[in-house]
Amino acid sequence: MTAEHVDAGPQVDPFEAFRGMRDKYLESMSKVMIDAVNTEEYAQATGAMLNNYLTLSAPFREALDKAMLMALEQFSLPSRQQVIALAERFTNLEMRLDDIDAKLDCILESRSASQPSAAGVSPGGAGHSSISEAKPLHQGNSRKGQRPK
Amino acid sequence: MTPATASSNNWSVLERKLGTFNRLMTTKAAIGQTPKDLIWTLNKAKLYRYVPVVPAEARHRVPLLLVFALMNRPTIMDLRRGHSFVEYMVGRGYDVYLLDWGVPGPEDKDLKFDDYVLDYMPRAIRKMKSVSGSSEFSMLGWCIGAILTTIYAAMRPNDGLRNLLLLTAPLDFSNPEKLTFARWTDEKCFDVDKVLATFGNMPGEMIDYGAKALKPVENYVTNFCKLWDNLDDPRAIEAWHAMNTWVTDIFPMAGGAYRQLIVDFYRNNRLMKGELKIRGELVHLNRLRANLFNVIAEADHITPPCQSEAILSKVGSTDTEIYRVRGGHIGIMAGSSAHKQTWPHIDRWLGARSD
Repeated sequence: MTAEHVDAGPQVDPFEAFRGMRDKYLESMSKVMIDAVNTEEYAQATGAMLNNYLTLSAPFREALDKAMLMALEQFSLPSRQQVIALAERFTNLEMRLDDIDAKLDCILESRSASQPSAAGVSPGGAGHSSISEAKPLHQGNSRKGQRPK
Repeated sequence: MTPATASSNNWSVLERKLGTFNRLMTTKAAIGQTPKDLIWTLNKAKLYRYVPVVPAEARHRVPLLLVFALMNRPTIMDLRRGHSFVEYMVGRGYDVYLLDWGVPGPEDKDLKFDDYVLDYMPRAIRKMKSVSGSSEFSMLGWCIGAILTTIYAAMRPNDGLRNLLLLTAPLDFSNPEKLTFARWTDEKCFDVDKVLATFGNMPGEMIDYGAKALKPVENYVTNFCKLWDNLDDPRAIEAWHAMNTWVTDIFPMAGGAYRQLIVDFYRNNRLMKGELKIRGELVHLNRLRANLFNVIAEADHITPPCQSEAILSKVGSTDTEIYRVRGGHIGIMAGSSAHKQTWPHIDRWLGARSD
């Protein structure tokens, strides 16, 4: 009986023979495509396709939005606009909390400065912010439309 | 080996390769793994502090804030263990902070550069100063993050910014003929208002397509051929998996900021012309006085070098340096040679200015 060797042998990639040819083809194709997408014609064609898609799909989107709004009202659920308004109010609250945090830092800084015995030690390591840095940031910088009504 | 055994062996190799390929395409790699603490949040934005590994007395005094683009995750700075810029900088003794802008929702469609620069960044920086105990800080901005940090540095020159590092910064749009994006987003071809009126925010899929279509064959074909060729190399597939996880994690960009990027930057080059207004205030680049390190990727097809070079002649900084790296937009910081070509030079420059 002949003993059959079942060693792994050289692992053969079925695509090995095509690799060199493939790489050369891809390299040349790449140059062609880079040149192609960098043309005015490509820019205009993709722009026109996008524009057509947006124009043609607009009536369907509007109809869907209206139907969805009516359905949500029927189920007493908030609409997207209402949820967005709520999220904006949350952000505004976060900004005000951040302002309070800044003011607190400022107060702690002032206190630690007036109490030499406790100098350099402030809760939360917050004793290093200058007063100008710690002033509320929302004044004059607020995002339009995010103030509480 | 008999022909039958060889044939069977070939099929088992093919089967194994297909299994690995399938796993890489359908699973996510663990990225952004360097330990960090969340220290501040506002809306979707989060500020993290990476847990220091160097004793406080051996650490650099000036903390470093990392600011990435608005349309991709900042985990690219901390891609995988053993090959992470964040991990490297933490190990080199920096107190590293990361500002993650998060994923904008429909409620954020009106967020603009104005909001990011004047509401979010000052608050995050105040918190960073408070936690680090340093009134001075360094900032590293990459891609759109470089636009944000440049505007901030010019508008708040007295806020303690000591060092500004810009990576592949798209700041100068005066050569539209060299910018494929500028050609695509020209007002003759692209109605930005119509797109944003439809979607609110700029969809991540469209941004992703734009980035990939710059080199369509590389991104849609060659990338996968190379993966197939390297399926027997565990290090290569680990790197590919991590990068693919980051690349495919796409999300929208806030509509207001996208409109500004197209109209104010790509179409009108307002920052370099000195015409950019942020909340009504003109941005004067000559007010930027921080030490400036400008990293340019020589083979960058997203931000060609011509977009990053002119900034040095516009700023008021006296300590400036340009560092050119062979590589692409992402590769210079996350590629296989980043730890030799780019990170040590950032450390060299920043380390000398952080104590």
